[in-house]
Amino acid sequence: MKFIHAADLHLDSPFLGLQDLPTSLLTQIRESTFTAATRVFDRALAEQVDFVLLAGDLFDRAEQSVAAQAYLIEQFDRLNQAKIPVVVGFGNHDYLADQHLSITYPDNVTVMGPQVTTVTLNLRDGQTVAISGFSYDQRWVTHDPLAAFPEHAETDWHLGMLHGAVATGSGDHYAPFTVAELLAKRYDYWALGHIHQRQFLNENPPILYAGNTQGRDRTETGERGAYLVTSQDHRLVPVFFPTSALVWTNPALTIETPNPTLAEISDQLATWLTQNFAATPELVVPTLALSKSLSAADQAQMANGDWLALFQRTHRRTMQTAQRVVVAVRWKLPVATAETPQLDTRYWATSADQIFTPGNLQDLFGKLVQEPALAEWFADPTTAPELREGAAKLLAALAGEEDDHAS
Amino acid sequence: MRLNRLTIYGFGQFHDRTFDLRPGLTVFLGANEAGKSTLTQFISAILFGFPTKKHPTLRYEPLDGSRFGGEISFTQDGQDYLVTRVDGPHGGKVTLHNVTSGLKLPATSLSHLLAPMDATLFQQVYAINEPRLAAVFATSKRELVDHLRHVGAVGSDFWLAQASQLDEAANARYKPQGRNPELNRWLLDYRELRAKLERANAAYPKYWELLDQRQQLTQEQATLRATLQAARQRVTTSEQRLAKWPIYQQWRALTTADVPVTTGFDPQDAATLEHLVNQKKVTQESLNHDQQELTTQRQAAQLTPLFQHYLETTDQLASTLAGIPDTLVAAHTVEQARSQQADLEERAGNLERQYAHQGQMPQAFSLATLQEVTQLREELTTANQKRRRLQQNLNDLNEQFRQQQPSRQQRRNPLADKQIGWLAAGLIVLIGSLFLPSAFLKLGGALVGVAVGYYGAFIVSSGTPASQQTDELEAEIRDLQAQLREGTGATTELTNRLDAIGESHGMADVPLAEWATAQGAIAEWERLTRQLEVVTTDLQAAQQAVTDFQKKVGAILPELGDRDLQDQVNQLMDLQRQQQRLATRDSDLSALSERVKRDHTSLEQATKAVMTFLQTRNVPDSQAFYQQYHAVQERDQRQQRRADLAHQLGESDLAALKGVANEAALQATFAQDKQQLTAIQAQIDSGNKRLATLAGQIDQLTASGTQAMLRQKLADLETRMIATTQRWLVDRLASQWIEAALAAASSDRLPQIVAKASEFYGKLTENRYTEIELTETTLRVRRQDGEWRTVSQLSRGTAEQLDFAVKLAFAIVMTQQVQMPVVIDDGLVNFDVQRRHQAYRLLNEISRDTQVILLTADTAIAADIDEQQISQLVD
Repeated sequence: MKFIHAADLHLDSPFLGLQDLPTSLLTQIRESTFTAATRVFDRALAEQVDFVLLAGDLFDRAEQSVAAQAYLIEQFDRLNQAKIPVVVGFGNHDYLADQHLSITYPDNVTVMGPQVTTVTLNLRDGQTVAISGFSYDQRWVTHDPLAAFPEHAETDWHLGMLHGAVATGSGDHYAPFTVAELLAKRYDYWALGHIHQRQFLNENPPILYAGNTQGRDRTETGERGAYLVTSQDHRLVPVFFPTSALVWTNPALTIETPNPTLAEISDQLATWLTQNFAATPELVVPTLALSKSLSAADQAQMANGDWLALFQRTHRRTMQTAQRVVVAVRWKLPVATAETPQLDTRYWATSADQIFTPGNLQDLFGKLVQEPALAEWFADPTTAPELREGAAKLLAALAGEEDDHAS
Repeated sequence: MRLNRLTIYGFGQFHDRTFDLRPGLTVFLGANEAGKSTLTQFISAILFGFPTKKHPTLRYEPLDGSRFGGEISFTQDGQDYLVTRVDGPHGGKVTLHNVTSGLKLPATSLSHLLAPMDATLFQQVYAINEPRLAAVFATSKRELVDHLRHVGAVGSDFWLAQASQLDEAANARYKPQGRNPELNRWLLDYRELRAKLERANAAYPKYWELLDQRQQLTQEQATLRATLQAARQRVTTSEQRLAKWPIYQQWRALTTADVPVTTGFDPQDAATLEHLVNQKKVTQESLNHDQQELTTQRQAAQLTPLFQHYLETTDQLASTLAGIPDTLVAAHTVEQARSQQADLEERAGNLERQYAHQGQMPQAFSLATLQEVTQLREELTTANQKRRRLQQNLNDLNEQFRQQQPSRQQRRNPLADKQIGWLAAGLIVLIGSLFLPSAFLKLGGALVGVAVGYYGAFIVSSGTPASQQTDELEAEIRDLQAQLREGTGATTELTNRLDAIGESHGMADVPLAEWATAQGAIAEWERLTRQLEVVTTDLQAAQQAVTDFQKKVGAILPELGDRDLQDQVNQLMDLQRQQQRLATRDSDLSALSERVKRDHTSLEQATKAVMTFLQTRNVPDSQAFYQQYHAVQERDQRQQRRADLAHQLGESDLAALKGVANEAALQATFAQDKQQLTAIQAQIDSGNKRLATLAGQIDQLTASGTQAMLRQKLADLETRMIATTQRWLVDRLASQWIEAALAAASSDRLPQIVAKASEFYGKLTENRYTEIELTETTLRVRRQDGEWRTVSQLSRGTAEQLDFAVKLAFAIVMTQQVQMPVVIDDGLVNFDVQRRHQAYRLLNEISRDTQVILLTADTAIAADIDEQQISQLVD
């Protein structure tokens, strides 16, 4: 038996955290989710697999993407012509809300219903396999669905397909389960989806997240892909294969000069690019470790993206050769730099406590909260510390200037 | 900052006046309207600018029209400056000189030089006058803190500047009410993009709708195609039925001519009848034959005259009859002999024609003659050969001789005569021997002759001596010539003899060479002639025998006399057989009569059988039967034909056609079906067209990258917006942070000020009040006895003294940051005499730390202040 386990294709979803990129790269980015998914289906055809499991989040319902739907129909049809069944369990992003899909998809596609369903397939080699799973019928599934999964069937193999996350005890919206529950079903394989970082929850029998097929923001670094699973001596052995059209990386660069300038940063970044070539095209977000804060003007250039745009223009060839495009830059300062020698430090500390209160932040943010995109960002728990860090960096830069001014 | 001198060009009532100021306390005494308030206003105006013309009372423009403005010389951080301000826009035209360095400074640097002091701070804190002291009731901590922050902590001017820059930057990024800042614009863009995306998203339901439509349409098309198939089938059926209509008509025609079924007229029945009729006929024929036979036989009973004659002469004929075979043989022999005879005659004739001479065949040689001829021919041959050899030798010798003696005449060979003699003798013997009677004698004679010749020619000649070669040769030639002549003679002799023989036998015409052949032919001819003779003889004998037989028959039976032999023989044989048959005739006749009788019976039976057969079928005769039979046959054929037609039509079509009234109805159905087919086809075509349109629409929706592009644009814009918002917030927060830190640092000085104020207040009130407490909202004081009094509970004077104490305390505490003279303009009017003196003393005391300018009308001051510190305001 041979099959492919993939999940979280997120077809036609936009890439987050990008701005001012060259058009050619934008095209590549726009097509990357499709390219990655095509690699999954190409592999299925090349390997002549017995079936393909797609464990949810094939697309983002909220995006209402025609391209994604047309693409899926076309690809499913390809598999249909090769007589390869596809078993789909929709997840929280592509939950079953209407009946369009099941009607329009070709006959080889089985879409799991909102209740746990078991599909039995007769394989070419005469073996039989049962696949149990379900589709989300709304954005959230807060109950543990495991009770509804049947025991190991009379078939040669029994696989479970589940889109969800391990229960944490509170605020679980995504079919919370425990590994022990999965093991108790005595299935031969659990194909999980939802978590974008591929990972094994158990080795034998394999219980694993396939991860997404294409990273879509700077936090989804490294190769992404799917698993080709083959039977070997009554065991199912998953082997990862990469599909990413573009890979995100966050390399750390140390800028050791005592008073770093943007020019030096550019030089070092360029040097690093010429020394590190990527096999797959990469979107790079380097983190610079600075010995001292940048000047306020430099910081402003860095923050408003002018410097990055300049770097992208002047180092296009270098980036092309290295197959790496620097899409953003982050920097880090040594700890405890926000010092103001002339104005007593304790005044800064005490006043910070007055300023960086949720109330004050909210007041400042004001009616921007009515902008959903900004409100979402603002509500993110990492935002407040980031703001404080930003202000601290800025004041540190100003303090440096005050020193220069005083001396 | 310390003010050194005030020079007034024209300001209020003053013009061209100069006031020198002491570093510590300077008191200007002047009555009312002496210009005390004008002077205070002058300091503020020169340092911080003239008030706008909206407030003319505050401008103090000179009444006498002299030049508006003046100058102040002051010392700041060890440098002497001179600032001049005359009338001009924006608060007046300023010139600033650094007197110490002698440099002219830009007018704008004045405010930097004075910072953080500005008109407001100066008016509120440092310029103390009665109405302002009266405002003490409003004094609160916040106000004081504001003053403090304004004055600031160390480096606060820098930080304040940074804070204001940050605020400016933040405002450039975003203003909650603005339109132009970056984020405001982007928010608008974002809304627009969102709206665009919403519109683009409308493609999504449209897409599903199109897919649904396509699905439905595809199903409809499938159904239609099935219908089309059925319709097409119907049309085909209709068309076939229409084509089968004529067949159906035939079939129907056959149906109408139905004949009642009668049995007994099968082909088998016909065969039976035929058999019966045949049987009858055969019986009839055999009867006829037998009857005829009977008649013939009865006729044969009357004998022919020949036979009767024959019967009479049977005895005479017996020997003749016996001789028939021999006669037949003889007749045969005659024939054979005749042909043989003709053959032989022909062959002999041939030979005669070939060899006969004058109608006479040459005679055959006798044996002796034959031998003689043979011998003569051999001899002739030998003699010829010998002569040729001799001639050859002679030629050789002649040649030889010519070679030896070419010129000499040929001489006669003397020896030749002698040799010829011998040769002639031998020849004579030889020829003579030929005439001897016996062969042996002839041979012996010949040998002797030859021997004699030989002896004479060779033995004798060889014995002839030959002394010389030439002579020998000549002798030889002569000898040879003699021999040659001898040989020629012999040859002629032989030839003559042979001619003689030929003449005698009539062979003159035959060349010698053919003699042998001719001899054979002659012998043959002779043999043929002899055979002919024999055959002729035989023929004559056989002919005689036949003639004899015929004569005999003719004699006995004259009827056969002139017939030829074969006929006669046949007749005789016939007669013989007739005689034999006659013996059996009687028994034959009776048997024949019996057979005829039987034949009659058979015929009767056969006839009856035919009759019965016909009667059972109720027909008068076989012709009627056959009529009926053909009718039945025909009916059967029709039925067969009908069945064939039915088969051709097919069961279903036949059934269908039976339900059709006429061809027109059928045509109508066909037309209708055809029309229906066309309609369905049109429907399918339009469906296909719609499907193609749908596919095009779907393709267009699928291919359009608008949605994805807009989404990515939105995501990018969000990223930008978030980044800008973040920077905006960071700027605002940093600014707030700076201000908060400055405030924190400032409010730290408040206790110092309060303590100083308490001290000053104690001094002013002669320790009636010992402590001041400043809270967020209130200011209260504690009396000596420990009672707390709020400002409102204090008397007007005491309250003014409290404010005076606080302001002086602020000025003293803040001297580190700000050095600004305290200008008091008649501020102590509500003080009682005692407290006024206390105040003068306090001012004198603090003037050690900061410059104090006191403008008063109270001349009592001279009691507390040195005279040189006091100037009269009016000269």
